[in-house]
Amino acid sequence: MPAADGSIEIGGGASRRPRTSGGLALGRLFPRASSAGLKTAHFRQPWLAAGLLTPQLLILVFFFFIPSYKALSLAFVQVDPFGGIQIFVGLDNFLALFASADYRDSAVFTLWFSVVQNVLTLGLAGLFAFATDYVIRGRGLYRSIILMPYAIAPVISGVIWAFLFNPAVGPIAEMLQAIGIPWDPNRRPFDAQLLVIIASVWKHVCYDYIFLVAALLAVPASLLEAATLDGAGHIRRFFAISVPLITPTIFFLIVMNFVYGLFETFGVIDAMTRGGPAGATNSLVYKVYQDGFVQLDLGSSAAQSVVLMIVAVVFTVLQFRALERKVNYGV
Amino acid sequence: MTGNKRGHGAVIGRLLAGAAVAALVLQAGGAMAEERTKIEWWHALGGRLAEIVDKLIVDFNASQDKYELVGINKGNYEETMAAMVAAYRVGQQPTLVQAAERGFLTMLNSGAVVPVPELMEKQGYDIKWDDFVAPVAGFFLVDGKPAAMPFNSSTPIFWYNADHFKAAGFDKPGETWQEIDTQLRAIKEKGVSDCSMVLANDFFWSMLENYAAIQDQPWGTKANGFGGLDTEFIFNQSPMVVGQLERLQSWMNDGVLQLAGQGLAPDQLFTSGQCSTFVASTAAHAGVESTAKFNWSATFLPHEEGVEPKNSTIGGGALWVMKGETDAEYAGAAAFLDFVASPATQAWWSKETGYVPVTMTAYEAIKADGYYDEHPTREIAILQLSRGTPTDNSRGFRFGNHNQSMQLLVKEVQSVWTGEKTAQQALDAAVEQGNQILRQYEKLHAGG
Repeated sequence: MPAADGSIEIGGGASRRPRTSGGLALGRLFPRASSAGLKTAHFRQPWLAAGLLTPQLLILVFFFFIPSYKALSLAFVQVDPFGGIQIFVGLDNFLALFASADYRDSAVFTLWFSVVQNVLTLGLAGLFAFATDYVIRGRGLYRSIILMPYAIAPVISGVIWAFLFNPAVGPIAEMLQAIGIPWDPNRRPFDAQLLVIIASVWKHVCYDYIFLVAALLAVPASLLEAATLDGAGHIRRFFAISVPLITPTIFFLIVMNFVYGLFETFGVIDAMTRGGPAGATNSLVYKVYQDGFVQLDLGSSAAQSVVLMIVAVVFTVLQFRALERKVNYGV
Repeated sequence: MTGNKRGHGAVIGRLLAGAAVAALVLQAGGAMAEERTKIEWWHALGGRLAEIVDKLIVDFNASQDKYELVGINKGNYEETMAAMVAAYRVGQQPTLVQAAERGFLTMLNSGAVVPVPELMEKQGYDIKWDDFVAPVAGFFLVDGKPAAMPFNSSTPIFWYNADHFKAAGFDKPGETWQEIDTQLRAIKEKGVSDCSMVLANDFFWSMLENYAAIQDQPWGTKANGFGGLDTEFIFNQSPMVVGQLERLQSWMNDGVLQLAGQGLAPDQLFTSGQCSTFVASTAAHAGVESTAKFNWSATFLPHEEGVEPKNSTIGGGALWVMKGETDAEYAGAAAFLDFVASPATQAWWSKETGYVPVTMTAYEAIKADGYYDEHPTREIAILQLSRGTPTDNSRGFRFGNHNQSMQLLVKEVQSVWTGEKTAQQALDAAVEQGNQILRQYEKLHAGG
């Protein structure tokens, strides 16, 4: 099914990338398949391999290994923020963290926020992507409108949402209050959480939408036509043919949405609620920032980021393990 | 310490202000000769105050041709402090930084600063350290000299919309919290305003800490931290402080007191005429005078019935000089500090912003030309600051990492607004967590 290849590239990541497409000048560096005991592709001269790897490795060293090392080394000490005094405290930072009710609340909020955000984003993006096929006039305009939020910086969109829903001056808040909803994200934690979810979903729907539209385009028309002849309606065709064929994309998006929810909603939260009221929207990442860069408690902040890193790693591994078997990459 | 600076939500304003500063810097950079030494100064003033700071910088740069001061707004006080600490750790700190009174002990013990008197002496400037007005001296002086140059000193005052008070049948706000309670409720009930009071962003300072000072209630042991690092918070044990938070809670529940929330500065709700009163820094003069289109006024902070009010405490920033700079930069920093401390700059700065003049000479000069007769609200702050003899409870607050404990207090108080906790429970929790921070700080600085 060559037509589906496009979606594999997007959805499946690197797993199926052709390995022997060296081409041009590099072609001569690839040995013939007869080279005994070697894989089909390898470099005869190590310097080239090293050279090609260096940029990526440097990025990893500077943006992952050095920060991780710093975080690890800070997680076991208490420091004066200016760096003058440092006391080794062993696991104290972690013990204090796990004993802290604030930290538990933050973890619970982050979990349900990420799940709800994920379901809503994917659901809405799926709906919009499904509808794209049925928008005949102004399809370009339709797409552009949906894609627009992605071009707006998170902080700016946060400020706009915060203003629209501000209980004192916001037009949407006024409408809600007019129909009897006592909307007030400054005093009602749930309202604040809802606000953060709305803004995060709004910001991220377009991302999922692009991928879903691309994936749906790659679904072979012949299958859909065959299903139509068999009497399947629009919705039946979508769920019975299209969705199973784009599962790699959906899986990829689920992972990306979790990453977004866990790590990238910082700007939105900072602009709209600052983690409040009373810590109701203090997500784990926002807490790392608050404790580290506002409160200058670097030890605790480092411990939190270590925990977060472990969670992220474990979570990703589990997700891949659990979902890989059910996702058909070999369409 | 105005709402402006603490206007967390006013991100757009800050961005615009930042852009304006950047533009100024570029302009200045283009026009000036290359050999001028650049001195970086990070400050925390936003809104109208940022415009006045820019004018101050332009004036300083025009006053001499050796140095070029570059001012950069780094957000509110907490953000500026955090940015400075992060920069210091990698050796990228500015020469000068403005830090709030709350960060005084943290900065003093940081080992990252050059004491200002030492710098001024080395650079050959003679500053009269005994010329500071008493409330400023009482807070900033350690062994007779300040570690930093007091710059923008303020204290909270009670701002009100005189038109609203008249419409509700009152001449002016009452002197006690009990009278204020009646008046604010009347303003709401008579339909004069939907928002009798808006809560300033730095309410923890204007409505709680200063409340404790004026009522002579201890915030912490050991003279609020002046007596040593082994101080403990005890503000939860004062029935008055708890009662104050309960009062605010009941106002909030009855719709008398409103929160501006993110994306909106409380000051705007007052200056637009929407809210009738707010308790905020005297530095709000800059913004109120330039934007309020109604008959506004201000008065002393209220006190409890039957209590003889003490002085309020000082807030605002001082200018600190960081370690690790070149001699030329230190010379420039000293020149700027000398410029700031001069009576002429002091008087101009105080008149423009509403901050109190920090030296007696400047205060006398402003008084002598009748400025306070024309602008009576301008004198409230300094009169309130120097009222009576300061006690251990009203001299000020000197706690290590006070930013941290303040943030925790704010978070706990928010849980009173949301109804999750009672005032007593919230203050108990704030004290418990705050004391952990104090112990952590004590542990780190036990030797020093």
